[in-house]
Amino acid sequence: MNVVVKNSIRFFLIVLLQAFVFNQIEIGFGIHLMVQPLFIMLLPFETGVFTLMILGFTLGLILDIFSNTYGLQASSLLIMAYMRPIVFKFYGPREGYDPLKEPSVFDMGSRWFLFVFGYLILIHHFWYFLVEIFRFDEFLLILQKTIFSVIISYLLCIVLQTFLIKKSKAK
Amino acid sequence: MRNFLAFFRRFRVFLFFAFLQIFALSLYVRYLSFPKNQYLTTASIVTGKLLEVENDVTKHFNLSKNNSALQFENIKLRTKIPQSLYQVGRNTYKIEDTVYEQQYEYMPATVINSSVTRRNNYFTINVGSKQGIKREMGVFSDKGVVGVIHNVSKHFAVVKTVLTKDINIDVTIEPIGLFGFLKWNGHDPQKGSITGISNDLKIKRWSRVVTKGGSGIFPKGMPVGKVYETLPVEGEPLWDVVVKFSENFRTLQRVYIIKNLLLDEQKALERQIPPDEEEEDL
Repeated sequence: MNVVVKNSIRFFLIVLLQAFVFNQIEIGFGIHLMVQPLFIMLLPFETGVFTLMILGFTLGLILDIFSNTYGLQASSLLIMAYMRPIVFKFYGPREGYDPLKEPSVFDMGSRWFLFVFGYLILIHHFWYFLVEIFRFDEFLLILQKTIFSVIISYLLCIVLQTFLIKKSKAK
Repeated sequence: MRNFLAFFRRFRVFLFFAFLQIFALSLYVRYLSFPKNQYLTTASIVTGKLLEVENDVTKHFNLSKNNSALQFENIKLRTKIPQSLYQVGRNTYKIEDTVYEQQYEYMPATVINSSVTRRNNYFTINVGSKQGIKREMGVFSDKGVVGVIHNVSKHFAVVKTVLTKDINIDVTIEPIGLFGFLKWNGHDPQKGSITGISNDLKIKRWSRVVTKGGSGIFPKGMPVGKVYETLPVEGEPLWDVVVKFSENFRTLQRVYIIKNLLLDEQKALERQIPPDEEEEDL
């Protein structure tokens, strides 16, 4: 399937899932489920940083409209898109990434995915709650919300990948 | 000039990032304090319609509970209508009432989108300016105060609930009549706090907290919750009074909107007060 078509479908699915399913689920303990980092994560390796940022910003803005957060989601997805090439470079193999592969848990292995996606989702959630609360005397609350939400969102993203991607033919 | 261009080329990624980031954050800050339009909120026509469709599906999950709550309220109201009361003094009912004039009007609405876990929680309701809804009208449910209208479009409105940072509804603790401002600290969607209560008076647990009605948004004596505990504030002669809300905002679906018919008159009168520095406004 064409890369553009594939990612457009993913974009659409992520918006639908986040706006109508995960935004409505409220678990308590300050947990706020967010799966939109997965879209930025799964874009192909050769995507430029400008494209990443524009896509992240657009996705965030659309989600903002659905959750009354007025630019907060856009801001946090933007910082994640900006950090993605940096984190990827740090964990990349010496000869560079294989352009035929996808940055998913199936193609790259669970160890690589654990660290890279872990860092990126942590950045995203931390920025989100930092800007949302924006008080340093409530720093513990920010940390609590970040850690709880990251764990649940992370597991959710791994489950979601099995639906969004077909297992690759490589390997 | 060449240096400038080189600088620009070198940091173009970061500059682009910073530009978008500042744009997003300024949007966030501006919308949080005073929304100028509703295109980026759930009050806009497209998202409003979509969320209404979604609510059509999910509202059935709480249907039986909501029905019994409405039934309970009906019973309560039924006991107050003239047919179920014994008329003590006869011939006192008049059609043209000169003693009581209607001050508050109510309108029903349904919550079509809500959240309780964020720092600032907003509800979207399915009435808008076509029904005469305006900013700063009060919203309540059969159990108590819910919030204040924050933003209005033609068919929808966004409610700033009591679960927001700076809601500042003026409330009274009932038997003693102390009053303060209602706040929410972002931790527990069932508990808020009242500031500005001096600690020289004892406050009994479970005493009722009701609206004071000073700002004309809510009528006097509308329930908010009950006093859960009083905590001392360090270094100040004040109590931090923790209130347990009587409404459970997680399952809230049916709300009413208050229209104060005399609000303009009150505002016009209060505008004649000479301005004062440090005036708290709601």
